[in-house]
Amino acid sequence: MGGQDNDAAGDAAFRDEIRSWLAANLTGEFAALVGKGGPGREHEFVPERIAWERRLGEGRWIGIGWPQQDGGRELSWQQQVIFHEEYARAGAPARVGHIGEQLLGPTLLMCGTPQQRARFLPGILTGTELWCQGYSEPEAGSDLAAVKTRAVLREGQWHIHGQKVWTSLAQFSDWCFVLARTDPGEQRHRGLSYLLVPMDQPGVDVRPIVQLTGTSEFNEVFFDDARAAEADVVGAPGDGWRVAMSTLAVERGVSTFGQQQGFAREFEAVLAQARANGGIADPDLAARLVDAWIGLRVLRYTAQATLGVPAGTTPGTEANIVKLLWAPWHQRLGELAVDVLGAAGTEVGPDYDLSDAQRLFLYTRSDTIYGGSNEIQRNVIAERLLGLPRG
Amino acid sequence: MEFTDSPDQAELREVVRDFLGRHVTPERVRAAAAGSDGYDAALWMRLCGELGLTALPVPEALGGAGAGFAEVAVVLEETGRVLAPVPYLSGAVAATLLACGEPDAARQFLPGLADGTAKAALALDGEVTLEDGTVSGTARNVADGAAADVLLVRAVDTLVAVRAADADVEAVGTLDQTRPQANVTFRASPAITVGVPADLAQDLLRTALAVEAVGAADHCLAATVAYLKERVQFGRPIGQFQALKHRCAGLAVEVESARATARAAVWTAVHDPDSLAVVGPLAKRHCADVFMHVTAEMIQLHGGIGFTWEHEAHLYFKRAKSTQLTAGTPAQLRRLVGERAGLI
Ligand SMILES: Cc1cc2nc3c(=O)[nH]c(=O)nc-3n(C[C@H](O)[C@H](O)[C@H](O)COP(=O)(O)OP(=O)(O)OC[C@H]3O[C@@H](n4cnc5c(N)ncnc54)[C@H](O)[C@@H]3O)c2cc1C
Repeated sequence: MGGQDNDAAGDAAFRDEIRSWLAANLTGEFAALVGKGGPGREHEFVPERIAWERRLGEGRWIGIGWPQQDGGRELSWQQQVIFHEEYARAGAPARVGHIGEQLLGPTLLMCGTPQQRARFLPGILTGTELWCQGYSEPEAGSDLAAVKTRAVLREGQWHIHGQKVWTSLAQFSDWCFVLARTDPGEQRHRGLSYLLVPMDQPGVDVRPIVQLTGTSEFNEVFFDDARAAEADVVGAPGDGWRVAMSTLAVERGVSTFGQQQGFAREFEAVLAQARANGGIADPDLAARLVDAWIGLRVLRYTAQATLGVPAGTTPGTEANIVKLLWAPWHQRLGELAVDVLGAAGTEVGPDYDLSDAQRLFLYTRSDTIYGGSNEIQRNVIAERLLGLPRG
Repeated sequence: MEFTDSPDQAELREVVRDFLGRHVTPERVRAAAAGSDGYDAALWMRLCGELGLTALPVPEALGGAGAGFAEVAVVLEETGRVLAPVPYLSGAVAATLLACGEPDAARQFLPGLADGTAKAALALDGEVTLEDGTVSGTARNVADGAAADVLLVRAVDTLVAVRAADADVEAVGTLDQTRPQANVTFRASPAITVGVPADLAQDLLRTALAVEAVGAADHCLAATVAYLKERVQFGRPIGQFQALKHRCAGLAVEVESARATARAAVWTAVHDPDSLAVVGPLAKRHCADVFMHVTAEMIQLHGGIGFTWEHEAHLYFKRAKSTQLTAGTPAQLRRLVGERAGLI
């Protein structure tokens, strides 16, 4: 019942194509990257993973769903799913370019000018320009419309002042898409603009934040008279909220299927551990293992049933539903992973070097926070899907 | 894997839903439950005759419509939604099994099941043995057993058909009054082999129960959300309180996941029956648990009115529990899935 059993003929050929490309390329200098990077290990093998991103670009495996005229392959939904499945199945390294590919690229395709698309999409497609997302601020998290970072247009340049926080991968990024207030007279959702800001300049200061894993994936980013070109505003000045929301709307979750392939690998590792140390003989652990397996199946069916439908036929809360299923599921798997280890699960290596199980246990706490916390997801479902009144 | 209705299935769903929505009120469900055999005979006649729903899984050569289990599942979600007081689930599952089994059994029983003149029940959990073409033993808590004309019985691994007239059938009182039960005793009762593995029959029944539970859970959530929009306390509709909104959102996620899972099981039953050994029990476990949770929340979020005999909530709450405890309890099904999937 896995995807591969039900491929149409063209899709099966496509699956072979990506499989053999990965087999041929995930070798030599890249062989050591299998299983590297990703949540809690973004600090690992960064230069090598950047090189890998470029190799992917050479193979034209970035932006595979984008229109051909913009440099993509315009592949079907089904084939994109197959790509993500095979990528995860091969254990290919976690992407360093996913923020550009999955968030900024689609936003430019929807809201960017032809010049902006021509300037910025090639850098994403070739893996030569990495992006980070500058939305959250110390006082604007769930309440994103409260952003205070401001930008003023003077002599053909935006001058930016303010602070972003929790900015993932900013320390490795070339560019940041920033939500900033450009009309000081306006409040909340009005008067915001969506700016494309180069990171390598004197006015930008990136300070990594140590996470509870002991490693740093996200950062504080300070803008002190940072500059952006006048033309590098997506949508009209003042229309940034709409643009930022479309970033979220286009993200309809093709990559969820690759993510689930990753979940399946994590589950297999926990199961193997339980077999190896005899934990599986404990009826409570055995029950939780089976429940985790069932939960993964349910998650997969739900993602297929909801995300696979054509856009516009449903109220648009599919991604919220799927996130509310997978994030807590993933947390429970993390808890199970260390519980299977028993007391041995409490011991770490030198310099707080964590095992995969410990990393899963710790990192998954963030799954219910980033990308809209579970509480915010529930608000969206209650109000938009169920039509319950606003409080 | 298909999760959405074909155009024909969508039309069938609309017809059935519209018909049941107009004719099956909670009062009518309650009246049937209080009646002598627990069914609404007039409703049953119309479902069989006018709408031809019992004919769906039966081949045309035997008086049926030549559709299949996917269409039966469409109907089940809708009968589940209103707790239709008719033995549709048992009959449709039995007919689906007979339609893919031995011609002998099919010819004997399917024409009657197709036009609704005969009713069927499934006795798949008993202690029954097969010897020289007869069965002996007991099956308890057989849903729709008392009204049945034919019983499909598990005798160890074999599925056989037995005429109810050849068994001792004793109706019993039920916690869930919307689905009558009987205890059945066989004493060398003549049995005809159906030609379908008993395990597959059990997993198809589980799939049907899962689908039915989804329809019912969907109704309970919708009814609860509607009540939260209308009930005013502290000067505002209680649906404005985030504590309640979040619980409803959580239930909506559960119901969507149950719907997807039940449909995956239906697809599996039709296209990949070998895999139903895992997906059938998995779907029944998940969907019944979701149904149970939704009905418990339905009572809580209605407050005092939800605790009354008069309100419909308890009908669903009791149906949810009986769904959870028949054809394998949650713990039994978890173990079964774990074993069959090679996990434990
Ligand atoms: C690992 C990680 C990576 C991240 N990467 C990025 C990034 O790259 N770029 C970026 O811009 N941001 C990023 N974020 C930030 C993330 O989007 C925010 O953390 C998130 O939106 C929550 O905001 P907050 O942290 O300010 O918490 P708050 O908004 O202060 O929330 C605190 C608690 O209150 C709850 N809450 C808040 N409002 C409501 C409400 N209306 N109803 C009910 N409950 C409510 C929340 O659910 C939460 O439990 C990242 C976060 C994490 C953890």
